Amino acid sequence: MLTKKGKYGLKALVHLAHMPAGQLAFVNDIATGNNIPKKFLDAILGELRNAGFVQSRKGKDGGYRLARPADEIKVGHVVRVLDGPLAPIPCASRTQYQRCEDCNEATCQVRHLMLEVRQAIAEVLDQRSLAEMRDIVLDDLTVARAIDELPVKVQA
Amino acid sequence: MSGRANSIIIVGGGASGVVMAAHLLKSPNPDLRVTLIEKRPHFGQGIAYSTLLSAHVLNVSAAGMSAYADDPGNFWRWLQGRGLVDPEQTPQTPFYAPRSIYARYLGELLDELEAREQPTGRLRLIHEESLSITPTASGVEVALANGTSVVAHLAILATGHDEQPAQGHAIRMGSEADTALDPESRVMVLGTGLSMVDAFLALEQRGHTGEIVAVSRRGLLPSPHRKGNPIKLDVADIPLGTQLSYFVGWFRDLIRENQKAGIDWRDVVDGLRPFNQKIWQNWPASAKRRFVEHTKAWWDIHRHRMAPEVYAKVTQAVQAGRIRLVAGRVVGIVPSEAFSVDIQSRHSQLVETLDVARIYDCSGIVRDISTSSNSVVRSLVDRGLARPDPMRIGLDVSANCEIIASDGTVSRKILAVGPLTRGTFFEIDAIPDIRVQCARLSKQLLG
Repeated sequence: MLTKKGKYGLKALVHLAHMPAGQLAFVNDIATGNNIPKKFLDAILGELRNAGFVQSRKGKDGGYRLARPADEIKVGHVVRVLDGPLAPIPCASRTQYQRCEDCNEATCQVRHLMLEVRQAIAEVLDQRSLAEMRDIVLDDLTVARAIDELPVKVQA
Repeated sequence: MSGRANSIIIVGGGASGVVMAAHLLKSPNPDLRVTLIEKRPHFGQGIAYSTLLSAHVLNVSAAGMSAYADDPGNFWRWLQGRGLVDPEQTPQTPFYAPRSIYARYLGELLDELEAREQPTGRLRLIHEESLSITPTASGVEVALANGTSVVAHLAILATGHDEQPAQGHAIRMGSEADTALDPESRVMVLGTGLSMVDAFLALEQRGHTGEIVAVSRRGLLPSPHRKGNPIKLDVADIPLGTQLSYFVGWFRDLIRENQKAGIDWRDVVDGLRPFNQKIWQNWPASAKRRFVEHTKAWWDIHRHRMAPEVYAKVTQAVQAGRIRLVAGRVVGIVPSEAFSVDIQSRHSQLVETLDVARIYDCSGIVRDISTSSNSVVRSLVDRGLARPDPMRIGLDVSANCEIIASDGTVSRKILAVGPLTRGTFFEIDAIPDIRVQCARLSKQLLG
């Protein structure tokens, strides 16, 4: 599941995606604007820099900016770097697999369904770019409508 | 274009052209018309499978070489039917068939298709060189070297690897310039990869005993295959869209962890294979460029391996001093009766001068596509109907294999498969990948 780290990282990137191209954002502005603890944000931005999503400049006028256009960075790219393999439950990952102490994974129906969920998560997050996520905010009425229009299963 | 595109011309009847035709003809559509055009005397050979030398074996085991994506046992059953493999063994047995045998397989597969489609008229084979493809109001027109032309709704380029002339004083192994040599003379090979191995095997077959000096930037020899089980990965596990260094770090850690659990690195490299195209497509342009420049040489020797028997032969020759691998570059060549070649070592920077009787160009198959020796490809680029991909290692194509014009327009009439599409699909040189691409394209075009 998305951790706080993943959520803060995405918020910080959306903040950067709002900046005019090439302009740096101060870490303090990102932190206060998004309600993120400053120290935690520093660590997150460091990891995002290592992965090549943001660039930084040190010094008085220093700060961060996106390393690439916001429509090229997919949300799934970022979440994997900050939170590791996309998996709704630790036993549904292949590289970071953790066996549940209390069940047998071969017969566990929960795990079986969660593997399917993992697939769906990857499909959504790898399709959506930071630019799309940034624009959702201005347009959340359409998102709400789209959700309303989803087929509803009628309970018997 | 209204309705389905029923008539399709495939330009190039080498391995990828035949595999493409075979997949299209799986469609039950009675109105389908497939025209396959090849300039070489035999279909299904191209550059890769025209060697007659029995020592030149496939670099992929038999199970990976079936022409059909949904029938991996097809080549194995053909081998069994011809008595070329032990009937007791399973298709999973590592078996590296001579490439000439593989050419025969594709040739016979096409013969069978031709016989089957004879009453339907759905397949037409043309032995002729194609000169150009021109979009028309209703489809495409392919001009042939004999002055005639053929028309269809769509054209698929399957021209394979480029046959560019060798660089400078070097020549191609087996070309006309490759005349008889003093068997004791020293020769130089540009490249230390799988093509160098082919050259060594050919020299050995000819009874050449002189030293073979093989030079490449890093002097790396490809690794041998070993039977194994690729690890299972999922797209949810793999970091996509990061900078190259981050990805390489992740992959090295993955190999290390697996090795701790007693798993061979090959199984990790092969486990990544189903995702290679996705990884490539999600990388930023800078990561792709860095990969081609710095990482590809390392990747290639681990990913593109040779049959264990061939590896044993090569390493034996290296130990015996018959092959000398040099990491460095050629800084000067003075031609006289022989060639006097200056090689600068990558590590010591020292320059060594060697006399060699011949220089073979085995430096790889990826060249700038806009200087292609293939007239169809070049004329498409010259007229702006196609453009090189950003890396200039192939043509720019969409994820649906449609070629992209110089102004960015995606063609609905001209498509491409195989090595030409490597800018978009990364590893698309070998049958296991090409057959999947052809199956997908066939479904996309014919449903």
